[in-house]
Amino acid sequence: MARLPREEWYDIARDVDWDLSYVDYDEVFPEWMSGTGKVPREAWAEWDEPYKVTYPEYVATQREKETGAYSVKAVLRKSRVFDQLDEGWKSVAKQHFGAVALVEDLAAYAELRMARFGLAPAWRNMAVFGALDETRHAQISLYFPHELLGRDPQYDWAHKAYHTSQWTVAAARATFDGMMMNPNVVDVAVQLPFTFETGFTNVQFVALAADALESGDINFANMISSIQTDEARHSQQGGPTLKILVEHDPRRAQWVIDKTFWVSARLFSVLTGPAMDYYTPLAMRKQSFKEFMLEWVAGQFADQLQDYGLKKPWYWDEFLAGLDTWHHGLHLGVWYWRPTVWWNPQGGVSPAERDWLREKYPDWEDRFGPIWDVIIGNINAGQAGLTLPATLPWLCSLCQLPVGTAGSPGNQRYPVRSYPLSYDGRTYHFCSRPCRQIWWEDRDTLHSPTVVDRVLAGEVQPPTVEGLLTWMGLTPEVRGTDAYGYRWARAYPPGDPGPAGDAGPAGDAGPAVTEPSNGGRPVPVNALFAGDFVTQLVTLQDTDTVDQAASRIAAQVVGRRVRSREAGLVVRLGGRVLPGELTVAAAGIGPLDSVDVSWDAGRVGER
Amino acid sequence: MAARRLKTWSALGQLGRLPGEYEIVTHALNYTTRPGRPSALASNPTTPANMWLLTYRDSSPLQAGDWLGFRDPDRLTYRAYVTMQDQQETVVAGVLDEYGPARHDASLPSWWLEVLAALFTPTRFPVHALQMTSAYLGYLAPSSYITNCAVFGTGDLLRRVSLVAYRTRQLAEATDSAIGRTERARWQQDEAWQPARQALEKLLTAYDWGECFTAMNLVLRPTLDQILLHELAEAARDSGDELTWLLLSNLAADAARGIRWSTALARYAIEQRPENRDVLRRWADRWAPRAEAAAAGLGQLLSGVRPAGAAERAANSARHEVLDRAGLA
Repeated sequence: MARLPREEWYDIARDVDWDLSYVDYDEVFPEWMSGTGKVPREAWAEWDEPYKVTYPEYVATQREKETGAYSVKAVLRKSRVFDQLDEGWKSVAKQHFGAVALVEDLAAYAELRMARFGLAPAWRNMAVFGALDETRHAQISLYFPHELLGRDPQYDWAHKAYHTSQWTVAAARATFDGMMMNPNVVDVAVQLPFTFETGFTNVQFVALAADALESGDINFANMISSIQTDEARHSQQGGPTLKILVEHDPRRAQWVIDKTFWVSARLFSVLTGPAMDYYTPLAMRKQSFKEFMLEWVAGQFADQLQDYGLKKPWYWDEFLAGLDTWHHGLHLGVWYWRPTVWWNPQGGVSPAERDWLREKYPDWEDRFGPIWDVIIGNINAGQAGLTLPATLPWLCSLCQLPVGTAGSPGNQRYPVRSYPLSYDGRTYHFCSRPCRQIWWEDRDTLHSPTVVDRVLAGEVQPPTVEGLLTWMGLTPEVRGTDAYGYRWARAYPPGDPGPAGDAGPAGDAGPAVTEPSNGGRPVPVNALFAGDFVTQLVTLQDTDTVDQAASRIAAQVVGRRVRSREAGLVVRLGGRVLPGELTVAAAGIGPLDSVDVSWDAGRVGER
Repeated sequence: MAARRLKTWSALGQLGRLPGEYEIVTHALNYTTRPGRPSALASNPTTPANMWLLTYRDSSPLQAGDWLGFRDPDRLTYRAYVTMQDQQETVVAGVLDEYGPARHDASLPSWWLEVLAALFTPTRFPVHALQMTSAYLGYLAPSSYITNCAVFGTGDLLRRVSLVAYRTRQLAEATDSAIGRTERARWQQDEAWQPARQALEKLLTAYDWGECFTAMNLVLRPTLDQILLHELAEAARDSGDELTWLLLSNLAADAARGIRWSTALARYAIEQRPENRDVLRRWADRWAPRAEAAAAGLGQLLSGVRPAGAAERAANSARHEVLDRAGLA
């Protein structure tokens, strides 16, 4: 006797709502969790998943997938495949495991929330499969790297990362908590399965699977391709939810998508952008990050929004322009601050790689070339110490990524600068107008202190780079170093690019992130040195003269990322030039102010 | 890189032995419970979601020094789970084939079909309520070892709803009975179902994770499942409905696994902090009358096929046995 076809009984299994009699509806589906908002309760009965799967079908398919993935792993275990992998590629995998494994587990809680508080039984059933899927992804993303622990302790961060306050993790936690755990389940369905999984994980999984295969990491390619097939199914919880939301409350739908897309795009630029355009060995790259984003994210997602009767987000042009710059700035930041990450970033700017970058990104050379030239000059002059950080980049209060990286040097439209906001007696800094606007609208939920905020609050002791690394959980053996031991930089002819010159007016930037006060009171500011790609935390003293303050700021940049010049310095506060002889206090520089320092050719003799 | 070579996650390093696959993929996954966190979620500490976790999870009366010490006695991983359940679904498919339901179902007497219509096919509603609650328990559990038990348990309940739905359709097609038309009405209106429905609706609002766990896994499920899975199965076999007997017996293995980890978790909680015995007992005492009322109601639906009061007594003693195994006798 043949089994009943699915469509003969499927609807019965999802026809399981009833009229509550002994408790209030609002008690079972509280607005905080269920979030129906302006959508009438009965409208959710229309919820219909486009992809139907039954429990027996689910376990049969998943068993097969698991058997496949684990048998490939078992076969490869005895091979020497891992030993032959490129160090740059290994960094892609290490970064991926650390950033992703425990977020997969977090996504299981998001699915469980929908399985409980979802407003339609069909949705709740789908979310059960979603929770099982995410449990799978967490487990497979831990089991695969676990066997590599003995070879390289950086793989420990596949498990450890989210238990720490490391800065990229803090950024990811803020983004993912805001997407999966904080909102009600209607917003979760629009943010997680619709915007993030449909919009973004295609890039992370499809693109990286292709690069992994090219790089010879069959195990990794096999694992993430297998994960992607699950995502393709359970991400379909987003569509039906969005359809109903759009019908009754299009403004809310648009806002939820807009804010999620933006923070996801920012996060992907630090996680996936550098992996694709710098860490993956040149010969193995299939497409640039920008090409992938245009094809898989921008194109497809914009079409989907249109299908639902929604508009492109208001910042769409800024997002597209950012595909040329964001991840280059973030790569530079991760590489320069490499001891603060658990993987070994590949500099990725050898002459050949640079040609590729110029071809894919025609403005790259003008914007980032000069900084890399200073770095290369220092490495080749035996001054690698100047390519290591002595303070912190300022972090955006929304996306928690370095301020400046939503723009680039030499970029008129999106310059390196902070977008500050005074609120409730303090100044918040943002990397971009959209981050500032999203924070402003949703500050009551989204606000979360950044690593810089926590340093300023005195949580990091001692407040030095070493103290910070320890506080972030980075034990000495896992701190990132250049993946190739600077081999890429040595490929340049001797003396070209030339040395960066004097390492800045103060020479030694000093060990302290917030330097102990020497008589004066410390004034931590968000400092930008013209030509640099980020703004940084620099602690002035209120008794410093403005000229001394300029030197302190220049010491973090000049000779490190900006070539020294025969010129004096000029300090601006809110666009106003400050007299050099005034003290910081008298000049009106206060804590958390944005302070800009630039060259002043007219003051050569004064230095 | 002169540091010692790691044999496992640094977070599992103090185990004193090499962990197996189960621990490697289950240990300390829920970062919202990490020690030293400013709040569960990286958001304003007073957001509704943060307050929810603070109130119902982190401030639960059920506390332990270390929830990460608990282990599922079955040590289930995802791949073990789907492998096991695919095997079980293959068994179920074999049983369904063997009995050729059309012929089998058509041969069932109408008085027995009425029992199935009253007590078997309406269960997709209560089991869905349990599925929702089990998902909630997974979300709120204070460690990934507990969450994963609840996640697989939630899958089991969807399995059960699915099989009930499947059989509802088959029985509706093959027989001239009320099956397929009256389930919601019975669940919502049949007097015998109301105490169970009341208990399960209240369970949906038992938001403290410890109370949710106790009420569902130690009190209500042992009681209800004794009737809905075991007593009904026995009655089915006695009534010549071997198919229902075999299917329910298969589902009962999932329920038994649920009891294994739940009683182990209760014992672990008491071991961690002896005061937890009173905490759990208070909840068990609060929910026991609801379970008793549910058993009394559902027992009536078996009155024609089981000795008077037998199902109710069996359900209550099943609960006592579970509470005993949980260290709460």
